Amino acid sequence: MPSDRIELPQGTLDLLILKALALRPQHGWAVSERIQQISKDVLRVQQGSLYPSLHRLERRGWIKARWAASENNRRAKYYELTRTGRKQLEIETKAWRKLTSAVDQVLDAV
Amino acid sequence: MWTDLLYRLRALFRRRAVEDELDDEMRLHLELQTEKYIRSGVAADEAMQRARLEFGGADQIKEECRDARGTRSIENMFQDLRYALKGLRRSPAFAAVVVASLALGIGANTTVFGIVNGMVLQPLPIESPEQFYSVDRNGEPSHSFLNYKDIRDRNSVFSSLFMYRIAPMSLEHTDGAKRVWGLLVTGNYFETLGIRPSIGRFFGPADDLYPNGSPYAVLSFDTWRGRFGGDPDIIGRTVRVNAREYTVLGVAPEGFHGTDVFYRSQIWLPLSMQSHVEGYSWLERRQTQNGWVAGRLRPGITAKQADENLKVIADALAREYVLNEGMRLTVTVPGLAGSTLRAPVSGFSGGVMLLAGLVLIAACVNIASLLSARLTDRNREFAVRLAIGAGPGRIIRQLLTESMVVSTIGGVVGITVSVLLLRLLSRWKAPLEMPIQVDVGPDLRVLAFGSAVVLVTGLLFGTLGALRVSRWNPNDGLKGAPLSERARRWAPGDVLLVVQVSACCLLITASFVALRGLQESLETPLGFQPAGVAVVGYDLSQAGYSEKDGRIFHERALNAIAQIPGVEDYALAKSVPLSTDQSRTLVYPGDTTDFRPLNAVRATYYRVSPGFFRTMRTKLIEGREFSAQDRFASPPVAIVNETLARRVLGGAPWVGKRYRMGPNSEVEVVGVVEDGKYSHLSESPTPVLFEPMMRRYEGEATLIARSSRPESDVASDMRRAVAALDRSLPVYAVGSLDQLLSFVMLPIRAAVIALSVFGILAIMLVVTGVHGLCAYTVARRTREIGIRVAIGARATDVLWLMFGRTAALVGFGSVAGFFLAVFASQILSRIVFGVSPLDPRVSAGVILTMILIGILGVWGPLRRSLKVDPVQALRQE
Repeated sequence: MPSDRIELPQGTLDLLILKALALRPQHGWAVSERIQQISKDVLRVQQGSLYPSLHRLERRGWIKARWAASENNRRAKYYELTRTGRKQLEIETKAWRKLTSAVDQVLDAV
Repeated sequence: MWTDLLYRLRALFRRRAVEDELDDEMRLHLELQTEKYIRSGVAADEAMQRARLEFGGADQIKEECRDARGTRSIENMFQDLRYALKGLRRSPAFAAVVVASLALGIGANTTVFGIVNGMVLQPLPIESPEQFYSVDRNGEPSHSFLNYKDIRDRNSVFSSLFMYRIAPMSLEHTDGAKRVWGLLVTGNYFETLGIRPSIGRFFGPADDLYPNGSPYAVLSFDTWRGRFGGDPDIIGRTVRVNAREYTVLGVAPEGFHGTDVFYRSQIWLPLSMQSHVEGYSWLERRQTQNGWVAGRLRPGITAKQADENLKVIADALAREYVLNEGMRLTVTVPGLAGSTLRAPVSGFSGGVMLLAGLVLIAACVNIASLLSARLTDRNREFAVRLAIGAGPGRIIRQLLTESMVVSTIGGVVGITVSVLLLRLLSRWKAPLEMPIQVDVGPDLRVLAFGSAVVLVTGLLFGTLGALRVSRWNPNDGLKGAPLSERARRWAPGDVLLVVQVSACCLLITASFVALRGLQESLETPLGFQPAGVAVVGYDLSQAGYSEKDGRIFHERALNAIAQIPGVEDYALAKSVPLSTDQSRTLVYPGDTTDFRPLNAVRATYYRVSPGFFRTMRTKLIEGREFSAQDRFASPPVAIVNETLARRVLGGAPWVGKRYRMGPNSEVEVVGVVEDGKYSHLSESPTPVLFEPMMRRYEGEATLIARSSRPESDVASDMRRAVAALDRSLPVYAVGSLDQLLSFVMLPIRAAVIALSVFGILAIMLVVTGVHGLCAYTVARRTREIGIRVAIGARATDVLWLMFGRTAALVGFGSVAGFFLAVFASQILSRIVFGVSPLDPRVSAGVILTMILIGILGVWGPLRRSLKVDPVQALRQE
């Protein structure tokens, strides 16, 4: 495996999943594909953590699931953001920005 | 939060669906991933393989998803539950024994608690019952009305204080006259209690003012419902009480029967109506202590402060009136005849409760040792589970689940039985004409108690079992060796056995003590022979008879009874021994001039007609029975019992000697009869005097008749005969003297029933306990026995080896238990009066029983151990 791939901590994975679902409902595979694409293959979501995360987010009520036909007409479980999920995405995005900029500042300091 | 709960519930109850969905989801993921690889030019086979590889272990992911659903611990619990139930179904005998002993233990405890709850713990259904107190006078509840008024007016601790008196009366309505039991109360009664009428209103303090000036009545809810059909228009109507008209003002609240837990009042009348109701007046007589006093303490006043204040008042009253000399006034918790019955009732039920608790502990210990024997059988199962990573925590949880399942099943059975039993008891009416009934119906408190017992027992024996598991080493178990702890001088099983045996021996001793107590009660000389005597009562003062008409009526009633076929002897009395009506009077030696109460003997008195002693079969020691000549115009005479004769008259012969009842009343003794029992069977010799019924008129009469016919038949004949003389007179059949006796014997009978149940349970527990331990020992050491027999051990050697220890343990436990019982005879004496465990018959019975138990428990394993064939035993492993 290429060395430029990064293992994601759980909280970050949750944030990425929420973001991936922000545009439109997706099924599990599409979520992982989307994260991988946007990050230009740097972030690769392990299946073993993707599905538990989805289930956890569903339990918290940030996303909800429904069954629908996929592009090539297969039954797939589509996840979409709930209203609380959307709020949560905003909060976590802000928190993330704050964290990274702070970390950047520390690292950039001479 | 809400979605979380819904989600978890769905995950829990639609588990299959949720799992299927997960499968589908993961399959789709794999397919899409494979297609992606194929699109990028990878061969189909390889694409599939790569996708799979990347995806990782499906089961692990599923497991993690389950964790993420947050239902893991509940799912585990369900799994444990299923497993526990399966295990119980696999060994039904074990399950039955355990469930049965638990059901009995829990049922016994819940029932006893229910009774204690109903009689002692339950607060009265009144406003702030904690401020409500009775006033006792020298430990008894009765006071004279004049003293009551003085206490009421002089005290500074009661915000209000009332007097009440239990009184029978005849209540006449469209359905005729019926005898009912009510309360005569001062006008402040209802407002002191702070209760509201169901309908109408109560009478008040203004109704105290004029003697016989307030003919008002308040009905009890049950009477209103039962006899007046719940008619709301009853308010303002008149009913006739003792042939006088009273206006019904209101109906008491549902469930309120007065302030004594055992007495159910059916009607309340103002105490100012007393002489109309009772036919004579005692309100102005300081020597007549006929009323009970209770009241509400002012806010912030403690019982101790109240006692101090009452002491000052009692001292002052004693100085002012000679009659009050030596008077002590105290406040006590009300509900049980003031508090006179509180000590015996709580002593009795507390003692039984303790023993019931002991039964439960013994049952728990028994189940714990059965469980651990079973655990030994299950060691391979646990070893496998431990080895595949179950973790001791998971196994202990499994064991606790199993014990909780067992205790819950046992508990549900036990509590159900006890609820039924308590309902039955609540409906039970004493075989007396007085409405003595206690509401011990199970309430939430009883159910809570039962559930707590279930929980504690489940945890208790579950933990005892689990403790063993935590010490196990799985490797040994897999190898087939028993999962045993290191060999020790005292195995925990031994300790359990000793604890169990001694607890059970204590219980068995207690039941023998109760049996012996019953035997003694049955053998107690009563001073009369109850069998064959029918009893019927009536009260002329309730029907407005004058003294002259009353005397004539009594004569006619006696004549009517004489005509009843089969009646051999008959008589009339105001009351009979062992009934609830026991009046007392003061008696002084004939030569005394000092008439202070301290100088007197308190004697129970009866008023009886000629023929009374012949009918009762009471032996005359000296002198004669009353005759028709002992009439009201003749000089005062009396017959006394031996105790009174000795205490008041000095040495025999007594006939012709005199005693005094006051400065101007001298009475000649014409006969002396044997001593007897008058209020209960364990009483010490009581001085008693009998006066001729025809000398002093009483409206209240009890007719007694001896015959060889069944008492109930004769009683109903008597009832008809008296009713024929006056249709409007309520006549009540008490039934028989035996019935009165059986009521007096109620405590000892209750004790025998309760303690015998405990005793039998204890025997079962020890037998199974001993049996279990021995069977286990023999099974474990079969090989050893084989070797020993092979190298020439004799049967006695084998027996000693196998059972010497058990015998020693049982013996040790028994001795310990018996000494505990002797040590606890203080507690036992609250249940059964006057019998000690050291009574030779009791101790012999206990020793025999324990030996029998030992033999019974050891028998099976013993035969098995003697049958061990060395060749087979050695080949076995």
